[in-house]
Amino acid sequence: MSSKKPEQPKDPSATTVDRRGFLKGAATGAAALAVTPVARAQEPSAYRASFTAPSYQQMQRDAGLVELPAPDSRGVVRPGSDLMVQALKEMGIEFVASNNGSSFEGIQESIANYGSPPNHMPEFITALHEESSVDMANGYAKAEGRPMAVMLHGTLGIQHASMSIFQAYNTGTPMLLIVGRDVGFIQAHTADDMAAMCRSFTKWDAQPTTLSECIDTLHEAYRQAVTPPTGPAMVVIDIELQKEEAQDFDLPRFRPAVIEGVDTATAKDIAEKLLNASNPRLETGMFRTPKGIGAAVELAELIGASTSTTSTGGPMGFPQRHPLCGPGAESNYDYVLGLEADASDLSLKRPIVNSLTAQRDVMGIGFGSLREDYAPAPPGSEPTPLDRSPRQPQGTVLKVDAQASIPLIIGELSRLITPAKQREIEQRKARHARTNRETFLTALRVAVEEKKKGWDLSPVSTARIYAELWPLIMNEDWCLASPSNFSGAHHRELWEHNKPYSFLGTQGAGGMGYGPGACVGAALAARSRGRFVVNVQPDGDLNYSPGALWTAVHHELPMLTVMHNNRAWHQEYMFLQYLAGVRGRGTDRGHIGCVLRDPFIDYSKMAQAYGMDSEGPIENPALLTAALDRGVRSVKNGKPYLIDVVTQPR
Amino acid sequence: MKILVISVTGLLIGFTAPAATAQQEPVISDANAGAQLYYDHGCYACHGYSGYGRVDLNNTGSPWLVNEEIFRAFLRARADVAPVLPSTSMPNYPANALSDEGVNDIFAYIRSLPNNQPDSADIPALRTILESAEQREYKP
Ligand SMILES: Cc1ncc(C[n+]2csc(CCOP(=O)(O)OP(=O)(O)O)c2C)c(N)n1
Ligand SMILES: [Mg+2]
Repeated sequence: MSSKKPEQPKDPSATTVDRRGFLKGAATGAAALAVTPVARAQEPSAYRASFTAPSYQQMQRDAGLVELPAPDSRGVVRPGSDLMVQALKEMGIEFVASNNGSSFEGIQESIANYGSPPNHMPEFITALHEESSVDMANGYAKAEGRPMAVMLHGTLGIQHASMSIFQAYNTGTPMLLIVGRDVGFIQAHTADDMAAMCRSFTKWDAQPTTLSECIDTLHEAYRQAVTPPTGPAMVVIDIELQKEEAQDFDLPRFRPAVIEGVDTATAKDIAEKLLNASNPRLETGMFRTPKGIGAAVELAELIGASTSTTSTGGPMGFPQRHPLCGPGAESNYDYVLGLEADASDLSLKRPIVNSLTAQRDVMGIGFGSLREDYAPAPPGSEPTPLDRSPRQPQGTVLKVDAQASIPLIIGELSRLITPAKQREIEQRKARHARTNRETFLTALRVAVEEKKKGWDLSPVSTARIYAELWPLIMNEDWCLASPSNFSGAHHRELWEHNKPYSFLGTQGAGGMGYGPGACVGAALAARSRGRFVVNVQPDGDLNYSPGALWTAVHHELPMLTVMHNNRAWHQEYMFLQYLAGVRGRGTDRGHIGCVLRDPFIDYSKMAQAYGMDSEGPIENPALLTAALDRGVRSVKNGKPYLIDVVTQPR
Repeated sequence: MKILVISVTGLLIGFTAPAATAQQEPVISDANAGAQLYYDHGCYACHGYSGYGRVDLNNTGSPWLVNEEIFRAFLRARADVAPVLPSTSMPNYPANALSDEGVNDIFAYIRSLPNNQPDSADIPALRTILESAEQREYKP
């Protein structure tokens, strides 16, 4: 069989060179941009592509007539994407979650093959949907307080990812979004300024035009993502930059972000007020990273202040069972300092993403949750009545990062504390510890009596799931990564949230489909750290993004999924049923469009289809403990597991 | 009857959940038929399949569950008297959508719901939760 090759253009590289020439031309002034990528990023992209005809090679590829180079020939010795991967490595990016796409094939190939032996960090995490890949980065960053990366394929990848980017933005979760761009390939996959599609809900974006600028923008994107207001940052990277020969390009060193705290005078003033108070109080919220919690604990212990916590409502909160956590011995607080939380005297609160609206929402979309006058709470940060001190009037608020400020306050305090004061503080700490312990145990006894309602009835009560799980995981290093608002949030009263990642909070914008990906992301963080991830999974939520189960199996992640299978989008059912009632048209058709019956979905089989060990559906509550025990053991042996439990609706 | 309706409405408007445990009168209607209606009309949405949910129904001693008449008045008050009453998210049940007989059957079903709250000392998981919380020392 003879195959006639299409005739080649005289100079096969001419088209490419032209396009590259154009890129370079468009980058006139790029040197200046590379130095100040921040300023540049706030404007729509400087680079506007023209729609050039596809090159000979690209047409060949579209037609499936690709000629592979001879095995021993390497066109490019040091591709730009190797340096991009090296930059990610140096920034400490552990994972890049992605659903593959040729617009970033340069980087993907470098992740697979760069280095000798071939690269293993960042690890390529295979996602089945872009929405899940971003949710993975969300779950990971909530657990660790630092970003991982996601790669998205052009216009399509961004659109698939957009809801989860929006959710991450609402919770101010830092992440690095890398978008591949290939102007010469399928035209519908490319655009002049793709980042504009989600500019209103990313913190920062850039579209570099040279390799040097690309490395600078990757560095800057990381710094932007982790600097308050924290949030997702996006870099759009042309395929040309990924594939170009870097020659002897010198990779610049990564400079970490510098995050400012209060000034010295303010730190001193706060220290004096804490010291002069006879019953100082710390209201604490969600810190940026685990370090912030450590600093808050040190401050509380140094001054002997009782503290509140948000750890039962979201990540990065003060440890719930720290002896100082609780209302304290007396509630006549005479100086209340807020650390990322409201307080009656002074609050130190880092700026949040809605402060960027004027700059970023150039299209004037006006997202409800992102209005400047609207302060989104950190994920699920509403403290339980147990943690909350009586509501107080709001005092002065300083928009400054508490985590960066605490060490300065501690520095001042250490100089001021006298031995006499030290004795007073120690006595106060002992009193607080006794009361806080009693308060916790009293609330627990009350909760237990509440949770036993309908204990033996079928379907299984949501409280029983949380209650049966706790004894099995309490001695593990656990992380509850799924939102719990639809499954009763019983952990808030029954479990003890002492780690930065004990509970990762809500979706961010109430978007369904978040849970599976977020749990996989948390499990990525957990895998090398000996941690155990729990996912109490509502059925509706799973059906938006079930492919994340496969990712958990493929990457051998420590994740136990227990279904809250009420066979409905139950939240919506309640809304619809109420409206039907208000309209006086009866409530017996309120289930239409809101229930998942006829047929029931078999989640155990679904998990098996993705290669995950599983069991269920369990309707008899007496079978639950043994099933959970099998699940916990499987996960501890390195195999994710799913248990389908048919539950009460709420 | 009218007086009763008005007084129930008054309770709803004032959001005053009656606290006292009222004397429960005997059940007359058909609990089996009521079970089906309880399901079809989605009562389980908030009250659970077995009467435990966001708002419990089992043996609560609620004055609205004293007898069929009061229960009916309670369900109708919002729909037929003042449909846009301040809401507790409880849907309205007008007579054209749920017959008096149906209401009575649902009442019978609710009153038949079993009480299931074993002694927490007999539930191993809850016992462990309490014991471990008492014994456990906080470790950073
Ligand atoms: C992407 C998206 N689509 C639709 C909704 C509307 N919505 C809110 S709650 C909900 C039902 C959730 O069902 P499930 O996850 O099973 O939880 P359940 O209420 O049944 O416990 C839906 C569809 C949403 N919040 N997000
Ligand atoms: Mg559901």
